[in-house]
Amino acid sequence: MAYEEPITDYDYIVENCTCAFCGCNCDDLVYLVKGGNVKGELEDNVVVSGYVDGGHVVGVRHACRLGASKVMEDMDQRLLVPMIRDAEGNLVETDWDTALDKAAELIAGSVRPVFYGWSETSIETMKFGLELGELVGAVLDNQATICHGPSLQAVQNAGYPVMTLGECKNRADMIVYTGNNAMNSHPRHLARYSTFPRGFFRKRGRFDRTVVTMDPRYTDTAKMSDIWVGFEQNGDYEFYNAMRAVLRGKKLQKDVISGIPKEDIEELVESMKQAQFGALFFGLGLTHTLSKQRNIDIAINLIQDLNKFSKWNLIPMRGHFNVNGFNIFMAYEQGFPYGVDFARGYPRYMNGETNTIDLLTREEPDVFMVIAADPGAHFPSGANRHLANIPVIQIDIHWGPSTELADIVLPGSFIAVEAGGTSYRMDGVPIYMKKAISKPETCRDDEWIVNELLKRVQKIKGIAPREASK
Amino acid sequence: MTYVDKPPVPNVVKFDEPNAKKRNKLEVMLNTGSDIYQGACKKRGSTLKDEYRHASGTAYMDPRDMARLGVKNWDKAIVKTAWGEVVVFVAHSRDAPHEGQIFICKGPWANVIVSPETYCCCDPTYKGVPASIEKTDEEPLLMADLMAEVYQKYKKAEDDSNKLGKKPDNNIDWY
Amino acid sequence: MVEYILKNGIVFDPTNNIKGEKKDVAFSNGKIVEDVSSDAKVIDVTDKLVMAAGVDPHSHIAGPKLVVGRLYRPEDSRKGIVPAKGVTRSETGFSVPSCPATGYRYSRMGYGTVVEAAMPPLEAKHTHEEIMTIPNIDVPALPLFGNNWFVLEYARDGKVDELAAFVAKWLKLVKGYGIKIVNPCGGEAWGWGMNVHGVDDPAPYWDVTAREVVRTLAKVNEKLGLPHSIHLHPNDLGHPGNDLTTLESMKMVSDIKKSSGVRNQNLHMTHIQYHSYSGTNWRDFKSGAEGVAKYINSNDHVTCDVGQITLDETTTMTADGPMEFDLHQLNGLKWANKDIELETASGIVPFIYSGRNSVHSVQWAIGLELFLGIKNPWQVMLTTDSPNAGPFIRYPRVISWLMSNKRRMEMIENREVHKAVEKKSSLATLDREYGFDEIATISRAGPAKAYGFTDRGHLGVGANADIAVYDLEPNNIDPSVEHEQIEKAFGNALYTIKNGQTLVKDGEVVAIKQSQNIWTNVQGLEAEEAAVMKEVMPVFNKYYTIKFENYKVHDHFVSNPIEVKVQAGKASK
Repeated sequence: MAYEEPITDYDYIVENCTCAFCGCNCDDLVYLVKGGNVKGELEDNVVVSGYVDGGHVVGVRHACRLGASKVMEDMDQRLLVPMIRDAEGNLVETDWDTALDKAAELIAGSVRPVFYGWSETSIETMKFGLELGELVGAVLDNQATICHGPSLQAVQNAGYPVMTLGECKNRADMIVYTGNNAMNSHPRHLARYSTFPRGFFRKRGRFDRTVVTMDPRYTDTAKMSDIWVGFEQNGDYEFYNAMRAVLRGKKLQKDVISGIPKEDIEELVESMKQAQFGALFFGLGLTHTLSKQRNIDIAINLIQDLNKFSKWNLIPMRGHFNVNGFNIFMAYEQGFPYGVDFARGYPRYMNGETNTIDLLTREEPDVFMVIAADPGAHFPSGANRHLANIPVIQIDIHWGPSTELADIVLPGSFIAVEAGGTSYRMDGVPIYMKKAISKPETCRDDEWIVNELLKRVQKIKGIAPREASK
Repeated sequence: MTYVDKPPVPNVVKFDEPNAKKRNKLEVMLNTGSDIYQGACKKRGSTLKDEYRHASGTAYMDPRDMARLGVKNWDKAIVKTAWGEVVVFVAHSRDAPHEGQIFICKGPWANVIVSPETYCCCDPTYKGVPASIEKTDEEPLLMADLMAEVYQKYKKAEDDSNKLGKKPDNNIDWY
Repeated sequence: MVEYILKNGIVFDPTNNIKGEKKDVAFSNGKIVEDVSSDAKVIDVTDKLVMAAGVDPHSHIAGPKLVVGRLYRPEDSRKGIVPAKGVTRSETGFSVPSCPATGYRYSRMGYGTVVEAAMPPLEAKHTHEEIMTIPNIDVPALPLFGNNWFVLEYARDGKVDELAAFVAKWLKLVKGYGIKIVNPCGGEAWGWGMNVHGVDDPAPYWDVTAREVVRTLAKVNEKLGLPHSIHLHPNDLGHPGNDLTTLESMKMVSDIKKSSGVRNQNLHMTHIQYHSYSGTNWRDFKSGAEGVAKYINSNDHVTCDVGQITLDETTTMTADGPMEFDLHQLNGLKWANKDIELETASGIVPFIYSGRNSVHSVQWAIGLELFLGIKNPWQVMLTTDSPNAGPFIRYPRVISWLMSNKRRMEMIENREVHKAVEKKSSLATLDREYGFDEIATISRAGPAKAYGFTDRGHLGVGANADIAVYDLEPNNIDPSVEHEQIEKAFGNALYTIKNGQTLVKDGEVVAIKQSQNIWTNVQGLEAEEAAVMKEVMPVFNKYYTIKFENYKVHDHFVSNPIEVKVQAGKASK
């Protein structure tokens, strides 16, 4: 990359902002803001409370490439006004009332609505979304359905030995990344939480830790590791089983398992047993291959077995900053983590039945609301093709692939920059993401939009708003 | 700034591979996932731009496979699976060697060819899908064009080109 | 202003020494009043049982552990599904109910206040989010201090004043009510996969023992004059032979003078049933309840709650991480663990308590032995350590056991519990039966007193109008025989009134009220707190993975709190 001059042309600094990209939720970002008036307290040029009204972020400190790119968004593609698709198939700008009324009408009149997304918005928004879902009997689902859904199923099969990331930072002397390329998908994970930071019991940081990457590809993370275990594609299940067998004192019958010589497996298991504190981070490499949740089952069992010898924990590498938040939110509100179907007047959760992809491939939904997510970019076309048959309501901040399939577009605002809200880090630590600048005038907060939809649907259905609510 | 024209990739060097026989079509294993350029471009919101087409609509290949197929960086290829076909760029994978595997970042391009089969566990099979790759002269489509072409939500009825083909049967036999 | 009068109920109000008098209870504006005008709305409860609304001293209802339980046990969530109806939303869950279900179910049992007994400070926001989601009950939460690195260090160095300032500051930061200690030093040892045994086994590296931690925190508690005493889950939970540790844990703080005017105790021992096991292994394991009860009977500085086994399939969850791993090794069911940086550990394992199992049956007997063996009902409280020993919806059943020796003997004789109960416990020899007055004490008045609540747990003038009316006629029922009636009535209140608002009528939730968080604001130590923070901040910045600004619980998460102001060092009244 070419050298870039440091940014000096800014008026205000906002500190301790939280990154709204991946599940690391780094909360040490510093935004450099240009223009606007401070609504709150200012010390020198640091905004100590409140936000900058009318300013815009010109620089971000501490963020990784991903975080910086998201905060320093592409304004060309920012959705600014509500739009409705006309008969010609073109999105036409309209006013908020028209767009919200149309959307509410679609939702109120639908038989099998699906509200998908939520992982890039706040818990506060979800509250209204859930109330709306309960009211109309919708299916509420989030991105876990296409990323760590199998992990959650494995957790339901096998258990959930986790920790907060600080435990890893302060204690871990062995770090395992499996089926995950943290350097690309969670770039600050190694730097801030796992490998490089100097922890209380690991004063020398990187030098006190052994890093292992298990991945069929020699990824950027593997390149930074001490050990790379390049098992075969779709070989994860066999490989972990072999590790478990060795751990339990069994002799391996084959010389090479999933492309890994058995001596290497034995050596690896031995060093994992010897670790004082081990941390295993697993990603979509395990959930997206053929054995899906069974891969994670066996990884969790491996960790449980390792605890007889030493201390091991794991953490799923959650992708979006609040994907864990939605699972936690749904669990405490209605008992199930994702793919919750309210069609029968009570929550129902059946994997493979009440999940978005399965619903779409079965062509069940008749209205699809996507909020803070991008099925156009991330669903297999076999699922997306049904979105071409039904009305799609989109609440998002950028014109993306889903906008190409959307019939009603409601421009939201950017959580952690333009709006505050609660999120849960991949390890379940809640963080209140604060507002740093004001949103574009014509946009609305996600919270407001979903609440408006709720109110309008309640009006159509003739139901009084719930008092004191939840 | 995080804007790039296209992701930086290593140059393809010629391999003196005695077994490397030039072929027109390779049978490979398709992997999808994210990388940092795709992630940055997508979440910044630059999905309509040429950058996204390069970041996301690129099949990263092992250089030996590239030699066999006779392609160099940023040539074009068509990838076919049981679920569909899509034209993408090819480039030298930063994660090589991984002979017999191609990696396409998640995005509208990869979506056309991955399997929506969840085996009743909610998650489609994004990784480890059998695929074939051939060289082509066609140009990979920009995001908006691709979405219009593939899903045809707002296309007139007379246009009946369909990239997705028949909806596959659930009882697939290729495993 | 609407006035109400509950007419002609049979009132049990131990705090005000009312034992089954036929009496009216008047309230207006959410408070109990002396008298009301003739315009008051009359609620006729002639001859029905009237008590203050229940106060649960120890339950796990909100927070990260609960969510893990719900996430990883959909089989439990599916068990308790009730569709939305009227004002209520759908309910899910049996041992780990969803937040709305928790509120509705407590409300139906006539409860008004429930203490969430373990809040990891780092994830306090999560606990408070759930508290906001639980309707109809007020919820104070006890933050965990027993394995906090700062606490370990201050306790090792004997720095009571600094620790007092630290605790005062942290209660403000996380909006906590009092000091919870779980397996002191053992949680930290679990950071390395180890545990400590007994009160004199030091934590690895920190070189501090449970004795030092508990004593220092007890001194801090009294120095600050917190409304509740320290709330201790002692070491060695669930190990045969832990009765000795338990006795030692009580003895070691006996000399510390309590400073609150409301409560009598300087130590609350929680789920003491799990800590009253005698023997050396599971084979010669037997009840140690007698010794524990004897200590409590002769020392008034201790209160306890029982943690009664209810013989259900449940979900055990505690901040005692090593114990949960042992349990997983024992029963082989799915193990969840959650270690929190610098603060605590925790674990979760599903558990099936069965009357056919000898150990579970003896555990069941030990709980009842403690209830019956501890003479002063103000020192023992009704809990199941929900959901550890059983879900809280079993309280009515426990009440029916306590009120009916006949039922207990029936269970023993009909082999509803294992025959080991007769050999390994003395339950069969205890024929004491609780009266309504004692039930009111262990489920309302006692817990309220131990927590220093003066505005609830009783029906005196000025108290909150938190009232429960049960469909029982105390003068016309023999609880010993009609135990089924007792269980049914205590599970389905005729009326539950919270702050003057009728929330439950005839066992159905008819109104929803937003819950309130109760927290303690210690005042008068501002300078000391600032000084301590100067020491704390460098460590905080270096070893936590979250910025201090984002650590504290913002007002956003406690929308409607009840703030208890305490002047440090001055006894509250």
